[in-house]
Amino acid sequence: MLQNRRRFIRDSSLGVLTFYLAGCEVEMTAEQAHRAGVTRQVFNEAEAEALGALAEVLLPGSIDLGLVEYVDQQLGAPLDQQMLMIKYLGVNPPFAPFYQGGLAALDQAATAAHGDRFAQLDSAQQTALVAAVAQGQVENWSGPPAPFFYFVLRNDAVDVTYGTKAGIEGLGIPYMAHIEPPSPWGQ
Amino acid sequence: MAKEKVDVVIVGSGAAGSNIAARLAAGGKAVKILEAGPDRTNDHLVSSGLWARRLKWSGAPVLEEGANPVGHVFNAGQGTGGSAMHHYAVWPRFHPQDFRCRSEHDRGLDWPISYEDLAPFYDLVQTESGIAGDAEREVWRPPGEPYPLPPVPLFPQGQILERGFDARGMKTAPLPLAVTSVAYQGRDPCIWDGWCDSGCPIGALANPVTVDLPKAFAAGAVLETDATVTRILTDAVGERATGVEVVNSAGERREVLADIVVLAAFSIQNPRLLLASATAQHPRGLANSSGRVGQYIMTHSAGLIYGLFKEPTQSFMGAFGGQLVNQDGYEKTTHSDSGAFGSYQWMIAQAVKPNDLLGIGPTRADLFGNDLHSFMKRAARGFATMTAVVEDLPVADNKVVLSDDQRDANGVPLARVTHTTDPQSKSLWDATLVEGQAIFKAAGADEVWTGPQGAMHIMGGTIMGADPATSVTNSYGQCHDLPNLVIAGPGLFPTSAGVNPTYTVHALAARSADHLLDNWGSAVV
Ligand SMILES: Cc1cc2nc3c(=O)[nH]c(=O)nc-3n(C[C@H](O)[C@H](O)[C@H](O)COP(=O)(O)OP(=O)(O)OC[C@H]3O[C@@H](n4cnc5c(N)ncnc54)[C@H](O)[C@@H]3O)c2cc1C
Ligand code: SF4
Repeated sequence: MLQNRRRFIRDSSLGVLTFYLAGCEVEMTAEQAHRAGVTRQVFNEAEAEALGALAEVLLPGSIDLGLVEYVDQQLGAPLDQQMLMIKYLGVNPPFAPFYQGGLAALDQAATAAHGDRFAQLDSAQQTALVAAVAQGQVENWSGPPAPFFYFVLRNDAVDVTYGTKAGIEGLGIPYMAHIEPPSPWGQ
Repeated sequence: MAKEKVDVVIVGSGAAGSNIAARLAAGGKAVKILEAGPDRTNDHLVSSGLWARRLKWSGAPVLEEGANPVGHVFNAGQGTGGSAMHHYAVWPRFHPQDFRCRSEHDRGLDWPISYEDLAPFYDLVQTESGIAGDAEREVWRPPGEPYPLPPVPLFPQGQILERGFDARGMKTAPLPLAVTSVAYQGRDPCIWDGWCDSGCPIGALANPVTVDLPKAFAAGAVLETDATVTRILTDAVGERATGVEVVNSAGERREVLADIVVLAAFSIQNPRLLLASATAQHPRGLANSSGRVGQYIMTHSAGLIYGLFKEPTQSFMGAFGGQLVNQDGYEKTTHSDSGAFGSYQWMIAQAVKPNDLLGIGPTRADLFGNDLHSFMKRAARGFATMTAVVEDLPVADNKVVLSDDQRDANGVPLARVTHTTDPQSKSLWDATLVEGQAIFKAAGADEVWTGPQGAMHIMGGTIMGADPATSVTNSYGQCHDLPNLVIAGPGLFPTSAGVNPTYTVHALAARSADHLLDNWGSAVV
């Protein structure tokens, strides 16, 4: 982390996410990244699928706004550039194990209850399981404390949906920036 | 190892360090400020709850324990201006009774000074930083000069909540804010857009980059960022601090020598550095002959009240800190029949954004899916909130110690912080939730709910006191054991009071700086 500070100082004027697309760095918003199907830095296919499915239950539309890419990219960023809310919720870095452990537990719980991974469940089953996670009522839950995992992911979805200029203005709230964010979330 | 010599080296460029730097530099001293985090100006303060998270602490992890952790990363910043760079500038004064808690109530601790000792410095600081308020309507306010700036305006959210206080026979006054309600000393007026949590780039809010650092630089002080202090150095006999060891992100170590060392690295890192600087003469850590270094860590409990109203509240308007204040519950025994003890105030009608921890979204953590979408739409129109700042009794076991087995990249043991709220303070927090919900109902809220016991502000850890056997510093922040090692910041507070700390941080820093300049010869030897 300390080693990265130099880079942070050097790069801090840049305003867009750097995603890795076919081996070369390109800059785009997470929404564009989602559409372009960029290479992920942290999550494997199964994790990304579970995260996307969970995001859609937590806040429909957040997958299209780039939630999976947002979390994945932020987890790969140096700590002092990261914007994930988890950084101030009492969990010490690195944060990837928190997300990965929670997503694995979600898939395990889905498999135990319905014989299939979370992303494969029908919408009623997914909603019921998320409600149980929120209330800490999943038996043999193996990940980070279930209600906390729910809280963090839910707020990530709120961030992507309602924490951007477009999201805030979409609620009829004037954005009124002093300094416009160069992108919804930075590098 | 490369060495440099100055009159004063200051560790940390936040509220305390910047203020003391400006004063000592103006007094003719050669001042060097070492700041662990990155260099920032107001131009870096992007208006976005997401971007603002880069301002949070990202130095060595703090290991948090206890039933009510202090929330270090949320409550601490890093880089030029420190936490104060994105603080909300709610600046009330402590009350006379806050300084004599032990003698009046046989609880908590006494300060080695009284309100009267600080009053002239509160008066001085409010003209320098510019506080907006209405001293007459603030009937609870202790004696002092009236505010230099007219009060902050009232927006619909504030008007609606004021109704609730009125209906219950409670008073309100404009919230005292170190924010320019009108243009002041070359600073532009606030435009009430509620972006304070991301940092105020227009200079309306009295952060260190706006007020104290320009004065420090003009008087010749030098700020070095990416400069993490890893150790306080002492002379061979262990009677004086001689400087600090500092390392940058490339791993280059240097010594900066000074006549006076000021520790202004906030309430957790100050004791961490003292403990990590143990020597043969100070085996329990520097300045720790009392064993008090690290003890009495305090954090205000936040009594969070939320509601939805039929009429539009325009809760996006105003300052992040709020519009109104109520201190009817300041008497420490107000809720004693329920076992509660301590002071509290209401900060009323904070400007909110839809997301982030203090935003609308997380308040109804039970909702998800389309229910959450529809809540967000309703709340965007009719949401209102207020927060009780609840006093936290000092408890010796709420403390910072060094980790036995975990170190940062520079080899310094991590801080382990335990905090469990005293039951009497917890009962006071409970009482504020009951009162707050009743106020919202009286204001006509359709729905009222509350938040969890959040931690706000971090204080204590290097308390001042009259007795060297039971405190770390004297009333000027000079360590009893090493008088040229000076501590600044809310870590000095023996009690937390029921109001925000940073105005008092400034008043104490002003008093310390005056004392050091007046007694330079005896302070440095
Ligand atoms: C979101 C938020 C809102 C707040 N709102 C209010 C409010 O409305 N009213 C109020 O009164 N208070 C408020 N506060 C609290 C206020 O910010 C603090 O009380 C105040 O900043 C403390 O001043 P300080 O100088 O002791 O610490 P800081 O301002 O935190 O400065 C300490 C500096 O020391 C640096 N440092 C740490 N370790 C080292 C090291 N080893 N070497 C070099 N540098 C180091 C840090 O990077 C930091 O920049 C708020 C705080 C936050 C986070
Ligand atoms: S509300 Fe005022 S003080 Fe806060 S960011 Fe806006 S202009 Fe600055």
